[in-house]
Amino acid sequence: MVLALLFFVLLFSVLYPERFLTPLNFSTILRQFITLTLFALGPSFVVVMGSLDLSYVGIWMLGGILTWLLIPAVGQWAILVFPLLGLVTGFVVGVTQVRARIPSFILTLSLLIVYWGLTATLSGGYPRPVKGYEWINRPLIPYIPTPVLWSLPLMAVAVFLIKYTKIGVHLYAIGSNEEGAKLAGINVHRHKVLTFTLSGLFTGIGSVILFQHLGGATPVELNLNNVVWPLVAIVLGGTPLVGGSGGPQRTILGALTFSVVYRGLYLSLLHPEVIQLLVGLMLIVAIVIGSRGLREVVVT
Amino acid sequence: MSPNFRLQGDPVSKKFPIRILPLTEWLRRNLTIIGPIFAVAAVVLGFQLINPFFLSYDGIITLVYAMSYFLIAACGLTFVIMTGSFDFSVVSLLKLAALLCVLYIDRVGFWVVPLALMFTTGFGLINGLLVAKFRVPSFMATLGISIVVDGIALYLSRGHLYVVNNETFRALSTTFIAGLPSIFYWAIGIWLLISFLALLTPFGRRTYALGGNPIGASLSGIDVVKQRIYVFLLSGFLAGLAGVLYMAQMGGGSISIGADMPIPLFASVVAGGTALTGGVGGPHRTLMGVIIITWIQAGLSMLAVGRDTQMIVFGLIALVMSIATMDRRRIKSVK
Repeated sequence: MVLALLFFVLLFSVLYPERFLTPLNFSTILRQFITLTLFALGPSFVVVMGSLDLSYVGIWMLGGILTWLLIPAVGQWAILVFPLLGLVTGFVVGVTQVRARIPSFILTLSLLIVYWGLTATLSGGYPRPVKGYEWINRPLIPYIPTPVLWSLPLMAVAVFLIKYTKIGVHLYAIGSNEEGAKLAGINVHRHKVLTFTLSGLFTGIGSVILFQHLGGATPVELNLNNVVWPLVAIVLGGTPLVGGSGGPQRTILGALTFSVVYRGLYLSLLHPEVIQLLVGLMLIVAIVIGSRGLREVVVT
Repeated sequence: MSPNFRLQGDPVSKKFPIRILPLTEWLRRNLTIIGPIFAVAAVVLGFQLINPFFLSYDGIITLVYAMSYFLIAACGLTFVIMTGSFDFSVVSLLKLAALLCVLYIDRVGFWVVPLALMFTTGFGLINGLLVAKFRVPSFMATLGISIVVDGIALYLSRGHLYVVNNETFRALSTTFIAGLPSIFYWAIGIWLLISFLALLTPFGRRTYALGGNPIGASLSGIDVVKQRIYVFLLSGFLAGLAGVLYMAQMGGGSISIGADMPIPLFASVVAGGTALTGGVGGPHRTLMGVIIITWIQAGLSMLAVGRDTQMIVFGLIALVMSIATMDRRRIKSVK
């Protein structure tokens, strides 16, 4: 994966050095990278476990409108609605998934649509800008967007959780063989609820940063790219959708690769529509490669 | 319960072939059949009480237009869900077929219709190959394909709005026969055909078997890989057909065709009683689901309820119905 990343950086540097190798371009890549990472960080825990969580864009959109609604009442503390909403959403998704046993992608997709509808209804159909959180993206170091700095501890916690704690080991166990994990004495249901809650919480905290990073107002229209690209980053990073390996650390790498490739294509003379097509192809190729060796797995 | 399946432990004794069940027990067993019928009645009654124009002639024409192309696309999706998979690309394929028609009808004439159907069926084949041969989870495979298809549609249409000038093409859907537009007869005809395919042919039996237990189906000699590919082919073909008829009905459109469709489409399949676990339900049930969803949609639009509020309604219906239809006895773990 690192090799692929280096290959793409080299490729674009050789193809058009005067456009690709500029500080401005690198800071743009970082901007996009951080957007993808913050969206994809939480869900990658869920994907390690073999489920899917698509509610992240919903949390970001609804949270933005709730912040706008709460600002007159509670002032600057309103931004805390993001982590709270994430936490509650994740917990509800986890409990519903464990109790009602419906496939997580349908559950979270329906929830995403409901959140979108709520966002548009509550906002009255207009994006609502919120002032007062500019400190989140005030530049500190030239060319490095401040949101990147804010996210570093978040990424560190995510990687720590999956690599060095018992929870991480258990998640890998559940992802590769749920029956086996249950027989080995892991409380699968509790871990599922915990993981969805964790995913929601990470998305919630990430959304605080994203909210200001993406303009201080959330849109009322659902942009499918926001939903799909984090998934591409997760899969591209090397977390197979059936779970059992990969994790947030790979997702960070995947997001970086995706941003470099996207930016490289963007700077080329290709049509924007063709780029979208190539992104779709990239997703398919990544999942096909990621699903190698799954001959025995029952597909759904 | 599906008419084709009798689960183990069903207390139908051989001694008493006809046994009158207590009413509550009968209701509980047939809930997925009776539920939708009551829901339709409630929808019609409710909207009629609020809005007296709901069942006027114009109102009925609106309802029929709203449900017809939806029904065709939903029949294809039902087959995929019956096998326990999911097809996210139906809406994108519908859009592609519709745009192909409007873009090339003047240049290639009526050949554009088989051409568009060939394209969408081809993408159905790719879906099937990805899911059956490459073992990619169907949700992601079809999501990837739908992004590619959207890219193609955007590239071809450049985001402009197009209008069909060809009256013969539009007559495909808008000829009135006995007071109803012809797209309604297309939809009902296809629905009958697909229900026949599901319930009374070996193909249908194989699909139910595959959805009920893939390993069992493969052990009993069904070519599971081929069957999965056929199902996705069918879904692609029907999505294309729905797109062609949609364009003939609407007479124009842009890249935003079907932007609101994915969740209502899915909701209409599960609202009919086809469970996401596969093997239960069928296209004959989907008619009721489609009627519920599209009539709620049309009814809310007639009352000038915004699209955003409708999204909340359909998201919740999709959630509740997928929980309600799920057969919990069969599944061990759900991802």
